[in-house]
Amino acid sequence: MNSKILKILATTVVIVGALGGLMYTSLIEGTEYYKHVEEVMADPSAWQGKKLQLHGFVVEKSIMRRPGTLDHIFQVQSKGQVVNARYTGIVPDTFKDNSEVVIKGYLGPDGFAVEPDGVMAKCPSKYEAAPLRPSGN
Amino acid sequence: MAALGTFVLLTSFVVCAYAIAASVAGARRRSTRLVESGIGAFYFVTALMTVASGILVHAFVTDNYAIKYVQRYSDAAQPLAYKIASYWGGLDGSIMFWVFLLGCFGAAAVHVNRERHRELIPYVVAVIAATEMFFIFLMVVHKNPFSTFLTQAPAQGAGLNPLLQNFYMAIHPPSLYIGFVAMTIPFAFGIAALITGHLDDSWLRAVRRWTMVGWMFLTFGLGLGMLWAYEELGWGGYWGWDPVENAGLLPWFTATAFLHSVMVQERRGMLRVWNVTLVILTFFLTIFGTFMTRSGVVQSVHAFGEDPQLAMMFTVFMVFLLTFSFGLVIYRLPLLRSRNELDSWASREAAFLANNWILLFSAFFVLFATMYPTLSEAVRGERLTVGPPFFNKWMLPVGLILLLLTGIGPLLAWRKSTISNMVHQFLWPVSAAAATAVALVALGVRVWASGICFALCAWVLVTIVQEFIRGAGVRKQTTGTDLFTALVGLFGRSRRRYAGYVVHLGIVLMFFGFAGEGFKKEADINMTPGQQTTVGSFTVRHDALRVTADAQKQMITGHVTVFDNGKEIGTMQPAKWYFEKRVEEPTTEVAIRRAVSQDLYVVLAGFEVATQSAFYKITVNPLVNWVWLGLGFMVVGSIIAMLPESAFAVAMAKLPEGAVTTTLFVLAMFAPAGAHAQSAGGQNVSPVPKTVLYQSLEGEIMCTCGCRRPMNDCPMEPNCHGLDAQRVKLAKFLADGMERDAVLAAFVSDHGSEEILARPIDKGFNRLIWMFPYLLGGTTAVGMALMARRWSRRDAESTADASPRADDQALSARLDDELRDLD
Repeated sequence: MNSKILKILATTVVIVGALGGLMYTSLIEGTEYYKHVEEVMADPSAWQGKKLQLHGFVVEKSIMRRPGTLDHIFQVQSKGQVVNARYTGIVPDTFKDNSEVVIKGYLGPDGFAVEPDGVMAKCPSKYEAAPLRPSGN
Repeated sequence: MAALGTFVLLTSFVVCAYAIAASVAGARRRSTRLVESGIGAFYFVTALMTVASGILVHAFVTDNYAIKYVQRYSDAAQPLAYKIASYWGGLDGSIMFWVFLLGCFGAAAVHVNRERHRELIPYVVAVIAATEMFFIFLMVVHKNPFSTFLTQAPAQGAGLNPLLQNFYMAIHPPSLYIGFVAMTIPFAFGIAALITGHLDDSWLRAVRRWTMVGWMFLTFGLGLGMLWAYEELGWGGYWGWDPVENAGLLPWFTATAFLHSVMVQERRGMLRVWNVTLVILTFFLTIFGTFMTRSGVVQSVHAFGEDPQLAMMFTVFMVFLLTFSFGLVIYRLPLLRSRNELDSWASREAAFLANNWILLFSAFFVLFATMYPTLSEAVRGERLTVGPPFFNKWMLPVGLILLLLTGIGPLLAWRKSTISNMVHQFLWPVSAAAATAVALVALGVRVWASGICFALCAWVLVTIVQEFIRGAGVRKQTTGTDLFTALVGLFGRSRRRYAGYVVHLGIVLMFFGFAGEGFKKEADINMTPGQQTTVGSFTVRHDALRVTADAQKQMITGHVTVFDNGKEIGTMQPAKWYFEKRVEEPTTEVAIRRAVSQDLYVVLAGFEVATQSAFYKITVNPLVNWVWLGLGFMVVGSIIAMLPESAFAVAMAKLPEGAVTTTLFVLAMFAPAGAHAQSAGGQNVSPVPKTVLYQSLEGEIMCTCGCRRPMNDCPMEPNCHGLDAQRVKLAKFLADGMERDAVLAAFVSDHGSEEILARPIDKGFNRLIWMFPYLLGGTTAVGMALMARRWSRRDAESTADASPRADDQALSARLDDELRDLD
């Protein structure tokens, strides 16, 4: 009986350990930091090269698209801090002036490079009615 | 009306409290009268919730905007069906809908089992009533759907979110809720058994049945959610590991685990603590899922309102739930001792155990990853997130192992498999898998995950076929009938087992579809008219961009022509609709061209009216329809498992009908697909001044010259031969003062069919589709009533004579053995 418990324990420890280890390593790769613009722009250099999800609001009239292409540049702000972003691809319907967005990608010296499909504008409503739009400033 | 609604809610809260008190007191004092009174009160709560639902639906139908909830989720222009669906379109109403469903299910369960499980019933009533009470409490103090505007009420409703205004909205949430709600009943039985200490295996029967019901609805609901995402949201896929989706998946994992491990307990008397734990966990996860998606704890792309107060209430309830349930389990541990031990790892119970671990791991993994942002914020103060790639990385191998086990489990014998019968059982499946793998490599398939998945699909498929053939062979020998009768007879003999195989078949088909993901091709492209692009075997040419409008919305439609390997195969019209009430949130009307091998999925992502150019997101989704087909099989399989045995007594006559049901079901899942998006009415500028009605009708009636376009969009104009006559006719009808519907009806009757209409009449087909959820609800209710009657009748029989069941078991054990010995 005792040896059986020991066996079960040993197996459990090995399996849990292996899974935990695997999980930990893949978490490190898969993890993205979820930050607000002002947190990152307070010290941009510290965040360069890390995979980020940046939360903020699109600066009014900052969205520009090169005619005939899908290249976009725009600015995202939060609490007074602004970051320049560039993105190639299709933007969601709700991506507009002042809309609340989360952009995925990397921060570089020349601004934020958004990865493909990395622009997520918040669905204004799913179960809830649309919230009031936050002001641009 | 609103005051009445609130009053009804308050009353039901009080009655709930009474039902709990009376049942528990009655059980403790062994007073039948008190117990009966508790049950009566419990039924009364269901009646009250029905009344409350009636009041709310009435308010929606009559556009009573004094009620805040109605004002927020409805407007006068909405079709009747959407108004009714708005009932569960928002948070407050969905909670009430939840309680209503729980009431219905609870009442049914209590009614069915009140004789057989006399000892358990008072506690079952108490547990269900306590759950109802919690949700009613939420409504009464925090989220009252009947709360009214204190000052003057707005004259107009805000309208239901256009994204929610579609067929799936009416049917997906109810199905998912029913799945969630049904899981409360096994939990109630489990707790009742723990409290009373009646932990023999009889309560398991009730629990298993209701878990099956819940599992079926959950599967159906999840499937519809996937279809909804695929057809309405327009991002090209069907599962994005969004917290909302995960919330539904979590209890599905544990319920699936339970449905497997319960067999081990029935057969071998093992895993008793485990099974009780799974029942508790499943219920807990349904509550947790509701909490997760409604309280704003987890950030999702879908913004849910953050609601700390609601989060608080849920947390208190969940902590209580866990403490109480597991406290009871620990208290009853001595009674939950296992009767047997695992004999061998090469046994079916070991396979089930492995399956359980994997499923439980999946549940905890998904839970962990979904909660990771919240957890990391709590632990490290920094919000870290993981995306779909992380989920996929883990769930892909886990899914494949699960698929493998689906193929292994049925091949192993209970207790211990000998080497010789393992060779006998595994020969064909393994050969099939190996042959498939070799063929795939030879064909040059280099997507490893998909390749392994295909091979495993072959494995499981052959396993299932082998089981059917051998089973039918044995039956044929013993009963002397033909193979076909023997096959149907198998279901009669051992319904759950073979119904289970049908579900497994569904799983195989679904994984076959999943494997197609590996060959997905995508392109985002900006095109001016005349330009074309190639994705996979398809070439898509952008022809034109059209702007049209109807009473509710403005529609921007991209017209594209599609070529398959250079051959023109048709046109598609993806669109963007801007509803007047919500111009900020256009809806994406995806155009999908379905085929068995691959779907072409075109989304109009953006446009420039000035240059007539359009941005398309074009996706080629191979094998995606197999996923829907697989889901269909899973639901059909679980329905078979729940059918009463008598359904198979006249087995021969019933089988074709079953086939029809399957087809109808699958068709029902596909039906709405084509109907959306593709209706693009043109409305070009016309020199002739026309009334609004005239103009909109021109967009709805087809030109008869053979151009297959609406009247106002005929490319032959002004030389079209049929158009003028039709215009004269239309103008005459209108001059006669006919209404829109009358005009359309006249055109249809003149033409002889509805083909003359650019869109199907709202009343006809579409309304019929809308009927579906209500029909489904009705059918379920009737079916449940019938089942209830049957079960209670059988109950009387079985108390009189319990031997037929033992007989049955002996027979099926013999069948099992015969199968093993078949050489």
